[in-house]
Amino acid sequence: MMGDAPQLRGLRGHAYAARSSYRQPARLLTREGGEDLWVDIQNDERAVLASAYLSDLRVDPPLGTAPRKVTFPDGAVFETTDHDAIEALTGKTRGSLLHHYESFNARLIGVVAVCLAAAWVMWRYGLDIMASVAIAFTPPAVIEQIDVGTLQTIDFTMAEPSRLTDAQKADVNKVYRRLVQSLPQDVQDEHSFQLLFRDMPGMGPNAFALPGGTMVMTDAFVKDFPDANVMAGVLGHEIGHVVEQHGLKRIYRSLSMYILIAFLAGDVGPILEDVVLEGNVLLSLSFSRAQETSADEFGLSLSDASGFDPAGLKLFFEKLDEEYGDQEPPQWQSTHPSSAERVKAIDAYIDRL
Amino acid sequence: MSESLPQGAKPFDFTGNAKEWFGIWIVNLLLSIVTIGIYSAWAKVRTKKYFYNHTYVEGRNFDYHATGKQILIGRLIVIGAVIVFQIITAVLPILGLLLLIGLLFIFPWLIVRSMIFNARMSSFSNVRFGFVGTVGQAFLTFIVYPILTALTLYTTFPILDRAVKRFSIDNHKLGQARFNMEVGLGPFYKAFLVAIAWIIVVGLVGVVVTGFSFNEFAYAMDNADRAPEQAMKVMGLFYLLFFVAFLPAAFLYQALVRNAVYNNTTLEGGHAFASNVTAPQLLWLAVTNMIVVVFTLFLMLPWAQVRMARYLAAHTGFIPGGSMDDFVTQQQEAGGALGDAYTDLEGIDVGLPI
Repeated sequence: MMGDAPQLRGLRGHAYAARSSYRQPARLLTREGGEDLWVDIQNDERAVLASAYLSDLRVDPPLGTAPRKVTFPDGAVFETTDHDAIEALTGKTRGSLLHHYESFNARLIGVVAVCLAAAWVMWRYGLDIMASVAIAFTPPAVIEQIDVGTLQTIDFTMAEPSRLTDAQKADVNKVYRRLVQSLPQDVQDEHSFQLLFRDMPGMGPNAFALPGGTMVMTDAFVKDFPDANVMAGVLGHEIGHVVEQHGLKRIYRSLSMYILIAFLAGDVGPILEDVVLEGNVLLSLSFSRAQETSADEFGLSLSDASGFDPAGLKLFFEKLDEEYGDQEPPQWQSTHPSSAERVKAIDAYIDRL
Repeated sequence: MSESLPQGAKPFDFTGNAKEWFGIWIVNLLLSIVTIGIYSAWAKVRTKKYFYNHTYVEGRNFDYHATGKQILIGRLIVIGAVIVFQIITAVLPILGLLLLIGLLFIFPWLIVRSMIFNARMSSFSNVRFGFVGTVGQAFLTFIVYPILTALTLYTTFPILDRAVKRFSIDNHKLGQARFNMEVGLGPFYKAFLVAIAWIIVVGLVGVVVTGFSFNEFAYAMDNADRAPEQAMKVMGLFYLLFFVAFLPAAFLYQALVRNAVYNNTTLEGGHAFASNVTAPQLLWLAVTNMIVVVFTLFLMLPWAQVRMARYLAAHTGFIPGGSMDDFVTQQQEAGGALGDAYTDLEGIDVGLPI
């Protein structure tokens, strides 16, 4: 390294005095000083602005073509864009290797491939793990609060009090309790299973579950499908959503994705930020379909275990298919598998029960 | 539409390039993934340093001095605190509620810590920035004003926005020289009303032309299970209206406010700033950036970031009122990166408004 010293005469750049914005053209000069190399900053009038042993200098790691900074013990700074000369002076510094791998060349294709693969793995498995961890850390009070809040919104915007008679409600509740009681005891304790009735003219025959375990059934459902087996199938399906925590998983998956992108990729800029947060909906469609299938299977085994005919769920979908089958979009755009598809899957599952 | 910067204004210059930044960015990404996020602290430093180092005014550039270790420690403390908080809420809900109220008071403190840290870790022409805002001011700006703004149904939003910008700019220093923003409420309200006018006019025209109705929208959403095609159609229409009515309005507001703020900000020593961004250009950049980034699976993100940085720099000017050699760093403790980690997590931007 010392042999290089003569060529380093006149390593040009700019100098700043310690803690000052005073900037002047300067050179970095080296001379032998015993064991170490002695380094001076000299301005154009040949005045020495600062000097120190090479080993006492702080050299910033290289970062692209950004100017390199050399800080002297007294705080004086020498700055240069002569990257080769600085490297010749200091040799390989901390960060040189990183800098080498960051340079734009064919090797980066491999890095890109690994990143894309990792991103896919993270989307496929990592998000589920993050969501499960987050669910484990979510206090039950918060989940119940989600239910309360959602229900208030529904009541405010689209639901009327139920017009069903107490007897009708009691019939459904009997089916519901029988299903819940077939669940393992610890699962029963974990969620507050509660069935509510609402008159929701816009929704037709329908039932849905909120993340905390609250379930809502529309009046139209009770009127259109009084058969206990159909009810058991649909309620079992909704209980499946709750027990397998599908709602929470979807919420946390979207959030995790947002956090991952923000922390790993960095600032994505305006608009795209919103798209990332909302656009998850599109990406999670297939995830949602998997949840529906999984809830179907859960509902079927639960109906079967509680002594109902699991074919009830099939009847429900067959009727839906009759009424709406021709309007269904291709599977990939929908959050739910098509009804015909589900009937087939249900048949296959019942055979295995 | 595009006014030129005033006489004597030297435009900022961003000299970074997409190719070089891509290499740094993708390696940052890879190392962050491989180390399950730990490297992201160092990645943040390299990112900020890259963009600061390549931003020049009058041949002098900015620099960022925090170390990855500082950032990592800050993040670990914040994550630890969040976990402890979650456990407490799960075990003792009432204590959790008290802590939540406590957070209301810690929040302004964290913001101030974060701004001090970021200012102290940033420099221009070898002189460090400083931040002298107090927790009391932050409490007013980030807790009291937002509550009052909500109570007035956001009609006083321009007042809040001005307070936030004032808090940030007036409390920043370059060395010992203070920044000062002298803008009346007029420009803020003007920007606000222009944006509202856009939403109303375009929204009305859009609804009339497309025959969109909110009842239909709500109905289709409720029936998404059984008539998804209909829901998709209405949802698409809703997003289209949202994009043409709200997005340009947001950009109109931001562009007008940014120009007003820069054109009326001075730095002690007779220096001043200027800005001439326009809403159509900003919107065009943002929309095209988004499309390109999405269709290249985020691989063109570095290109988009450089493109935006270049535009903003070119449309920001510095009007020197004298020598740039007279700034001197003022001693101030930077504190830890705790506040910085917190604002990172919450997505609050407290960096220098370059």
